[in-house]
Amino acid sequence: MSSQPAAVIGIGQTKHKKKRDDVSLPGLVREAAQRALDDAELNWTDIDAVVLGKAPDPFEGVMMPELSMADALGANGKPMMRVHTAGSVGGSTALVATHLVQTGVHERVLTVAYEKQAEGNAQWGLAGGRSGGMGAGGIFAPWMRTYINKSGAPEDIGWKVAVKDRQNACKNPYAHLHLPDISIEKVKESPMLWDPIHFLESCPSSDGAVAMVLTNEAGAKKAPRKPAWVLGTAMRSELGTFPGRDTVRPLAGVECAHMVYDAAGITNPREQIDIAELYVPFSWYEPMWLEGHDIAGPGEGWRMVEDGSTQITGDFPVNPSGGVLSSNPIGASGMLRFAEAALQVRGEAGEHQVADAHVGLAQAYGGAAQYFAMWVVGSSLDAVDAKK
Amino acid sequence: MTDAKQPDAKQPDAKQLAAKQEEAVDPSAPVTGMDYFMKLEYHELLCPVVREFADALMDKRLIGHKCPKCGLIYSPPRGYCPICTVQTTKADEIEIQTHGIVTNYTVVTPVQYYGQEETEPFAKVSLQLDGGGTLSLQDLPGVPVEQVHPGMRVEIVWAPDDERHVDDVTNRSWGSAEGAIRGWKPTGEADADPSEYSDKTF
Ligand SMILES: [Zn+2]
Repeated sequence: MSSQPAAVIGIGQTKHKKKRDDVSLPGLVREAAQRALDDAELNWTDIDAVVLGKAPDPFEGVMMPELSMADALGANGKPMMRVHTAGSVGGSTALVATHLVQTGVHERVLTVAYEKQAEGNAQWGLAGGRSGGMGAGGIFAPWMRTYINKSGAPEDIGWKVAVKDRQNACKNPYAHLHLPDISIEKVKESPMLWDPIHFLESCPSSDGAVAMVLTNEAGAKKAPRKPAWVLGTAMRSELGTFPGRDTVRPLAGVECAHMVYDAAGITNPREQIDIAELYVPFSWYEPMWLEGHDIAGPGEGWRMVEDGSTQITGDFPVNPSGGVLSSNPIGASGMLRFAEAALQVRGEAGEHQVADAHVGLAQAYGGAAQYFAMWVVGSSLDAVDAKK
Repeated sequence: MTDAKQPDAKQPDAKQLAAKQEEAVDPSAPVTGMDYFMKLEYHELLCPVVREFADALMDKRLIGHKCPKCGLIYSPPRGYCPICTVQTTKADEIEIQTHGIVTNYTVVTPVQYYGQEETEPFAKVSLQLDGGGTLSLQDLPGVPVEQVHPGMRVEIVWAPDDERHVDDVTNRSWGSAEGAIRGWKPTGEADADPSEYSDKTF
């Protein structure tokens, strides 16, 4: 599909926390964007277009924020667009920016995603202002139970994922939750929010933003730091509800994964991917996506958790950044996966760097697990071939 | 115009507002934000097939459309099968049975957002109805949450004639219609075999 290579040459994110009352909404996005520009050693005037993403407007109660943010993002007189695909939006926003470069429409594109949850009430927004809101966890909980029943996974798998991601987050200074004392016992004994999901198996509510600068091959060669090359992109969607839908392993997620593997030339994801940042807002989604994206066989995803494969030191590290379980500025959560995968293959992830990470997979999902966005990034254009 | 009347959006409650003000007790603390309540009132016209679903509810009937190509049953009907991309019409309308199996459930611990009236954990269930058709987000009033489990056989509890309404039926409904269906009650029959429901989560 791509007519020319695209690469990430700048990455910036805010410190994610419960409430960023020191900055306005435009201030928050500008902070992340400025850091991405600094990383790329570019100025606002070097940017050709801006692509912005966030989750539904009722989460903050600020309608069409892309209009009022044009100033803060230096977009006056430039193309600016806003992307929206529910929770996967951060991923699809990054992909739209990528495609603008790959197709040669623009040379340098700034992409930004954010959420400032403390400015509003996401639970109110999700419930449409009505009583009896289920929350996202209430929708996903029965699907997790089905996964547990079908796969025969022991109940401590969810707790293990919750502990692993929080331990990883302690190595990531930008992560919202830093819980050095996290333990299986604490997760297990935390209140049950949506049976079978405990409080500590759920994502926090965060304020935060993330930004990336994407450019073409010529731009990447001029970049001051190592680029992360985009080796494949894919988006897929399906209906959120229909009779006979496989909610545990949605077809759109399976097809999206195969599309991105094919685009990147990946024939064996488990062997050829060095690190994955997957959208795991509730612990059980780690084994569910490992199977739902054919990284593990049916009923094998939880075994990868159990045997430590997905630990930062394992053979298939998942969410070394701490993931959505540790920081959840909803609209930014998907792009954070994409940015973190890029940081890993650039070798710039700091304390949570995975050794010898050359091929990274990032995934975001949204709605009733019905929108998927993925990319594969590499330390070089032939990073996947080098593994064959 | 035959659209359902929408209930008034909730006005800010004086008590809740007062409680909010109580929270800000430190007069020396800088003001970093303030609550701003919005209200958006709109009337949604029901599309014709959903209108028929709503009218049937008022007659204590559940209807759906059966796709002429793949046989999947949609209730509420959509007027098309999105999988086969074929139109469905009145000719494809079928009566859905009002008893079936609980295929899955969630117990929700209510978050106290503005307008939330639930204070105790409550269950929502997915149903596979006998003869075909599925409904999501249904209530089992009076059933203790710890007794809710997949395989329970249940039957419909209609709202009484003088209280029944379809104001909450929307074009995006997943089958919830609390104004017409009070919920579902266990029939007391033996649980269904797990093979009949274990793959049906919706
Ligand atoms: Zn069909």
